[in-house]
Amino acid sequence: MTTDILRVDGLSTRFFTEQGQVNAVSDLDLRIERGEVFGIVGESGSGKSVTARSVIDLIESPGRITDGEIWFNDDGLAEAVADDHPEAVDGSFVNLLEVPERVRRSLRGTSFSMIFQDPESSFNPSLTVGEQIAEAVEVQRRASANPRSTRAKTREYSLGSLVLSTVLPSRKYVSEASRERAIELLELVGIPDPVERADEYPHEYSGGMLQRAMIAQALAGEPDVLVADEPTTALDVTIQAQVLDLLDDLQEETGMTILLITHNLGVVARMCDRVGVMYAGEIVERGTLEDVFDDHVHPYTEGLLGSIPDLEGPTARRAADDRAEKPRGGGRLEPIPGNVPSLLDREMGDRCYFADRCPKAMEDCLSHPPEYDGAGSEEHEVRCVLATREYTEARALPTDYFGKADRAAADKHADPDGTETDVQPERAESTVEGTGGERR
Amino acid sequence: MAFGKFLLKRSLQGILVVWGVVTVLFGLRAITPGDPVNLIVDPAVDLETRERIRQELGLDEPIYVQYGDYLGDLLVGDLGYSYQSSRPVATMVIERVPATLELAIAATIVALVIAIPLGVISGTRRNEPADYGATSFSLVGISTPNFWLGIMLILLLAVEFNIFPTGRRPVAFHDALWTFLTTFYVGDLLTWLHHIALPAVTLGTYFTALITRLTRSGMLDEYGKPYVTATEAKGIPETLIRYKHVLRNTMIPIITVLGLQLGTLIGGAVVTETVFSWPGLGLRLITAINNLDWPLIQGIIVFVGISYVIINIGVDAIYATLNPRVLDE
Repeated sequence: MTTDILRVDGLSTRFFTEQGQVNAVSDLDLRIERGEVFGIVGESGSGKSVTARSVIDLIESPGRITDGEIWFNDDGLAEAVADDHPEAVDGSFVNLLEVPERVRRSLRGTSFSMIFQDPESSFNPSLTVGEQIAEAVEVQRRASANPRSTRAKTREYSLGSLVLSTVLPSRKYVSEASRERAIELLELVGIPDPVERADEYPHEYSGGMLQRAMIAQALAGEPDVLVADEPTTALDVTIQAQVLDLLDDLQEETGMTILLITHNLGVVARMCDRVGVMYAGEIVERGTLEDVFDDHVHPYTEGLLGSIPDLEGPTARRAADDRAEKPRGGGRLEPIPGNVPSLLDREMGDRCYFADRCPKAMEDCLSHPPEYDGAGSEEHEVRCVLATREYTEARALPTDYFGKADRAAADKHADPDGTETDVQPERAESTVEGTGGERR
Repeated sequence: MAFGKFLLKRSLQGILVVWGVVTVLFGLRAITPGDPVNLIVDPAVDLETRERIRQELGLDEPIYVQYGDYLGDLLVGDLGYSYQSSRPVATMVIERVPATLELAIAATIVALVIAIPLGVISGTRRNEPADYGATSFSLVGISTPNFWLGIMLILLLAVEFNIFPTGRRPVAFHDALWTFLTTFYVGDLLTWLHHIALPAVTLGTYFTALITRLTRSGMLDEYGKPYVTATEAKGIPETLIRYKHVLRNTMIPIITVLGLQLGTLIGGAVVTETVFSWPGLGLRLITAINNLDWPLIQGIIVFVGISYVIINIGVDAIYATLNPRVLDE
């Protein structure tokens, strides 16, 4: 039986901007099992990255985690903080939001590490790649030399030491052993000539190489959970495949848990065990790959699957083909009309957040839906009334209900017999913006 | 090596710049009215003698021959003789260099010692009282003209409270240092420090304010970059992130400004040197200009130009080590 490594309960992360309060993540629950690859998929602005950064405590001002619990399963940590913060410990789980910041910080690198979307801007341009990876190794070395120490001086490095290190090499933060390990890591992720490459600067690497180097850096701390935030988005398609292969192999070898954030369902199909579909700061559908690709209920998931180009690969096509009632319109993409909501607190009503773009919006959608059990595996949950009742034309909201007519009207697959219209609707040329998405 | 090639390229560019300075100066001299012979001899001296002097100085030659002669002399380090005192210009320039250099370096040190910590505090505690204090200080510093600041400091600290001397340089730093090293007598060094304090602060204030602002905005800029988040995610200590990563990258543009400013400090200490009667190049230049002593004016300006170019090459070299991308361009 697998055990959970991370449980997120009721997480809310908000940004307090000049335009108002932005609810980037609201009341989000998440359960990740040890050793699995959990995918979070959604459009830009759906709160995926904020979720990932909340977990690893990298939310920056004006953002703040306002509510929720993040339970992390770690015996050693639980033991270490039990005395000072008994309320934050439950068995081997520790609520990371209840322990002091320095404890959370102490988990960076060794318990959690992160791969970022754009490798070129995620490395310091004026230090060699080897040095930067060696820093991450050093974090791990110092932590393992002094286990259980969460308050520890091992994490500290005074300004005095830094100044001294300019004349005394022995006082440097990064040790020679760490540098050597950095070279090994570069070799592990498939960088040719790692010894020479370690002394090169980020601008001397290609994008794909740098993403490999970043993976090496993330692995340096031998983390329990690797958060990969759009790890392939900035790369060419061929390099994307290589990087995914690499992640796949490394995951198999080390057995680490990966939280994979992406907008690319092809990547999800290829990498993940379970997946959550995010929209407007909440998970609207979650389950195993089969649940989400084949037995999905939420029209948003449907819309996402409809937006995959066919050349994406057999997995994605399979998902689409299996849905017999889903017309592919001669291979044309079917983007979801409209845009993701602004997530401004004052603009978010108490309704299903997707209703204004949903082709199957009904009167029932005017109250915010809870999570229902889905039709698939027992993991399958969906935040949509369609899980409990069929779509009926009679209860449908008028197309212009939400003011702008950017909502796709219920189309053929809501009317399988084709009694209403017998003409295959033609899509407008323009995609998601404005009225272009409306069916005529 | 990329670095050697880089230095060579910069040096060749530097030589071109110096040649430009010399040529422009020569042109200015040619179009400036006034007969230099009047400076050398009494106006009452007869025409024949005047003509002889003109010939000796080569002033009767066509302008391009004079230009060629001047360039040739410069190449062998001959700056000519002062019209006013008849002493060799080279000596008159060199003997004033230590005073100016002392002042420029002291002002730079004042600036760095105050500005970098202030900028770091300001940049890491944005919108806190410490930040407001530092920002206000730098605004005042940037807006204060240094002739006014110098006079105010003299009136307040020298005349009113009598803490510092009003000016002059009774002892040179190298002499004071030598005395200290040979006899362990610190008195001279202290005297030197006492006298240079006000001029250094006066000259350095604008510079301090400028560097504070640059450090602050640079730190804020760098903190906003994705690599800082990525570095934080690695779990390395805050000190390392702040200094090894953020401050280091902030210093790259600051070093450029620093170098350029050091160059201007050498040539631009004219006002401060005049206010404090500090016997440096600036003071000598003012005197030379008042006397229309062209060889001396040219000598000082060419010297300052060459120093400026050399400092810049040095700055570029440091810049290239800090920011390796420069070498590839």
